[in-house]
Amino acid sequence: MSEAATKSGRPVLTPLETQGKLLGLYLTLPAQLLLLFIVAFPLVMQLYVSFTWWGPLDGTPWYMAYESANLFGNYGDLFDDSKLWGSIGRTFLIVAVCVPIEFLLGLGLAILFAEKFVGKRLFYSIMLMPMMIVPAVAGYMFFMLFQSSGPINDLLSRISGTEVEILWLADGTLAMISVMIADIWQWTPLMFLILLAGMVGVPEDQMKAATLLGANAWQRFWRIVLPRMKMVMIIALVIRTIECIKIFDILYVMTGGGPGVATKSISVYILDLTFKDLEWAYVAALGLFILICLSVFAVIGLILMQRAQRRNETMPA
Amino acid sequence: MQTAYSSHLWRYALILVAVGLALLPVVWMATMAFKPHTEWVSTAGDLHWLPREPTFANFEYIFTGETDAYSITHERTATRPIISSLVTSLLGTLIAVIAGTLGAYAVSRFGVGRNLPLGVLQLRLFPPLAVMIPVMIMWAFIGAMDSWWGLSLIYGIVTLPFAFWLMKTFFDEVPREIEEAALVEGCSWFRVFWKITLPMVKAALASTTLFVFILNWSDYVIALLLTRKEWVTIPVYMNSLSSAMTGQMYGAKAALGLIAVVPPVVFGIAIQKYLVRGLTFGALKQ
Repeated sequence: MSEAATKSGRPVLTPLETQGKLLGLYLTLPAQLLLLFIVAFPLVMQLYVSFTWWGPLDGTPWYMAYESANLFGNYGDLFDDSKLWGSIGRTFLIVAVCVPIEFLLGLGLAILFAEKFVGKRLFYSIMLMPMMIVPAVAGYMFFMLFQSSGPINDLLSRISGTEVEILWLADGTLAMISVMIADIWQWTPLMFLILLAGMVGVPEDQMKAATLLGANAWQRFWRIVLPRMKMVMIIALVIRTIECIKIFDILYVMTGGGPGVATKSISVYILDLTFKDLEWAYVAALGLFILICLSVFAVIGLILMQRAQRRNETMPA
Repeated sequence: MQTAYSSHLWRYALILVAVGLALLPVVWMATMAFKPHTEWVSTAGDLHWLPREPTFANFEYIFTGETDAYSITHERTATRPIISSLVTSLLGTLIAVIAGTLGAYAVSRFGVGRNLPLGVLQLRLFPPLAVMIPVMIMWAFIGAMDSWWGLSLIYGIVTLPFAFWLMKTFFDEVPREIEEAALVEGCSWFRVFWKITLPMVKAALASTTLFVFILNWSDYVIALLLTRKEWVTIPVYMNSLSSAMTGQMYGAKAALGLIAVVPPVVFGIAIQKYLVRGLTFGALKQ
């Protein structure tokens, strides 16, 4: 092994290193097999099916899909599919409203929790709870809360003193707001958790020095904490945005995408195509289209992260 | 002094509001689980936050399919879905943690498998629904549809990124000197991994396992796509628990929901320390 390596001009590996490399290859085998079996192979299959009209009720197995090949037919249809663009629009509306609100609320909570106080551990644990709730169950919680005879209307009635009977989930706009509230409830804790972790990382002596130099709390936060947290903030926003684009469980349990199409997100739209319309080839094309868009977004996120990291490293300590 | 005191007061006031809001939906579901069906919905503003006549009828109903309290019977009880959730989540966790731990060690130490870190990360990027068509075709082809192993396998791959990245950060932190000392003593690499490094990350491994279990247990959409009847999990079953005939089974569903949220909340609080690291794929450590 090492002789062959010398001949090909590579650096000579000691027997121990060779042994290590070999063990490494064995150890990565399970993960590699899983990736090949459930990522690489299905992606090829998805690409293949997406060039056809194939559906599960065609009576032909999927590998015969070429019989109904249409090349880019499905991809062309994507651009004329107004329902698709509607669901993309609604999904981005949810992302555009929820992610910033979750970020700001999470940041506010992190500031509240940044200093020591009595009961911090207990309150911290309770604050993290919403994100550990099974999302589908969280959806059902909010489904109950937003019933017309449910506790939200009850609270509103008590506060206003008049009988409030808002049909939260039966009205398009209100249903959308209800879903957003549920998402914000569940995922603000994630922002809080990540941002608090980033805030704790700020060196204490810097804060002390700034205090001695006469900086008030606001200045300390704006000038010292915030610049150091840029990386953490980008991580929190990127992770949450990616997850929010996928929004399904909580929304589907609460409204099923309705009333009408008022809360139909991309994921719900794909589910309908898969089970109701059985247009699997079209879903395959649509899925690949979404993959490409998300990949572009992820690459931008990674570049932003790396840039922030580099700036952090060059920043005088 | 005065300002410090009042700012503390403000802090507590705001935190209490936040804690109240975080608890409200959970409390509503928890009390609903113990309400008899006459208290499920209010009539004419007569809504009670605590059950006036607490009952276990809801739990009885979901486990036996019938109870004296309600006239409606349900032939499919929650026992099967609970077992299904447990079996598939546990096996999926096992697959993810084993493949992830081994792979993470190899990548961390030997620089092999360079495609793995990003390869598994991209798994997390895509909405499951966008990539499930070929999996569904494959699963139907190999007879894995609505089976315990089919669902476990997909859980294993979906949570692999978390297991891999978490364990990689833990392995990266183990000092090389200890391993090198053992190697000089004549230990083989495998023995070093098995007898020295792995015991050192035991606690981390346990946390990773719990973390991955929470994620598998929380799934809804994959089970919705890949199970039909025999192996439906709790969330899928829960959503099928109401019909045109029975209406919304608020109390029964709340009871089941309560059972479903206990394990992840308990485990989540137990591994609080590693949550940030797990959720950010090791990009951030607490």
